[in-house]
Amino acid sequence: MRNHILRIFFALMAPTLVWAAPNPRLALPEFSALAQKATESVTITLDAALLAMAGRFLNGNDPQDAATKEILKGLQGIYVRSYTFDKDAAYQQSDIDAVRNQLSAPGWNRLVETRSRKSQANVDIYIMVANNQATGLALIASEPRQFTIVNIVGAIDLDKLHKLEGQFGVPKLDIDAPKAPTPSIKK
Amino acid sequence: MSEDLESQLRAALTPVAPRDEFTQRLIARVTADKGTEPSARGIRRRSPRATAWWLSASMAASLLIAVGVQHYRQERREAERGLEARREVIEALRMTSQKLNLAYEVIKNQSSLPAEDKPGV
Amino acid sequence: MNEAPPGFSDEQLAKARAGDTAALASLIRAHQRSVYSLALRLLGSRELAEDLTQEVFMQLNGNLKSIASNTHLLFWLRKVTSNRAIDQLRRRSRIEMTPLDNELLFTSSADGSDPLLQRHLRQLLLELSPPARAVLLLRYQEDLDPVDIAQTLEMPINTVKSHLKRSLEILRQRTPDPERSRCEDKSI
Repeated sequence: MRNHILRIFFALMAPTLVWAAPNPRLALPEFSALAQKATESVTITLDAALLAMAGRFLNGNDPQDAATKEILKGLQGIYVRSYTFDKDAAYQQSDIDAVRNQLSAPGWNRLVETRSRKSQANVDIYIMVANNQATGLALIASEPRQFTIVNIVGAIDLDKLHKLEGQFGVPKLDIDAPKAPTPSIKK
Repeated sequence: MSEDLESQLRAALTPVAPRDEFTQRLIARVTADKGTEPSARGIRRRSPRATAWWLSASMAASLLIAVGVQHYRQERREAERGLEARREVIEALRMTSQKLNLAYEVIKNQSSLPAEDKPGV
Repeated sequence: MNEAPPGFSDEQLAKARAGDTAALASLIRAHQRSVYSLALRLLGSRELAEDLTQEVFMQLNGNLKSIASNTHLLFWLRKVTSNRAIDQLRRRSRIEMTPLDNELLFTSSADGSDPLLQRHLRQLLLELSPPARAVLLLRYQEDLDPVDIAQTLEMPINTVKSHLKRSLEILRQRTPDPERSRCEDKSI
């Protein structure tokens, strides 16, 4: 009788459990009002099909392309929203709250929260883990004249991603020094 | 201002012509479907049997050309889309890497501070 | 602008429908400017615009017998070009920072107009959503009224009016004072 009741209980719970499975894909708004104010805006939406297509056009003999191909393995989506403004405080933190609130849902774990008084740059990194593997990453970087939201769906390797620094012409950032006008590629 | 903006918009959107070379190619390709070169003399007359033969041959040729052109265009579009996707992937990962590096630098700088100066993370 | 372009009459259309290739070539020459410009300003790329222009005329060639008049022809060309371009844009993901094709910087200024401002307006047009962009192009390039635009794009008339109103507001807000813009335009 007890086993019977337990079976019924789990049968009823199963749809709820499945329904509540965490989703590493964030719902990113269009930010149309902010886009109108921004001097530059970047909107990237790459699903699994587009990532696969991109992978076919990456040259394994080129170091940058090869590093990129490595990272793409296991990814199902990359989504970016980035806006740059020509003056400080052109956007409010509340503009990003719709995204931040999603990261308090079950499944997301805050990996890093950094605050720099010097550059006033804040970076929050969240990760979703299942079966001891990262299944999603969310990054929110807010600076006085720019904010960037990145959502990566799939098995992301943070170490490989961090090592890309220098591959794409991104200089090693020194937040205590002024930004160089032209990025240089580090070997 | 409204009328001025609208008149400037009309002026800004005056139709522009494509390249001459494109126009020639366009006319050649579209009229190739008809099986004859553009001619000021109009439709040429033939005997019914010859017409049937020419019709079959030109339809076959047109089909091959059309298939070839379609295939070429499709491949070119695929290549364009693929290259664009590649550019977007690189841009997305570049931005992500840059922001990760920003976070790492903050953490690194904070970890080099004396214990009492470290803010909570 | 629902009249046949100069140099292309109903008689020539009838000949083209009957298979006269010279008349077909005249038809293409008469209408390619409008089709190409619509495609170029919707898609933002010369290559894509040329591809689309070719597709439209190839498709027209196959449907010529169903074209009843020059008015019908104009409607058909605008409708097919706009809708195919919007479909293409919907399928593609986009980066807002992509630099403009140089052809879009083509100035077509009439006497007394401001080429820098016009270039700025063409740039801003590309930042509108594809349907809003199509509405504005059909209104100010093709000179259609909202009812015709609604029929061409198969869009409710109120949606057309709403796109027109909002898009003009956006352009107005982001367009500097014409007097200042000659000196200060940094967008080029």
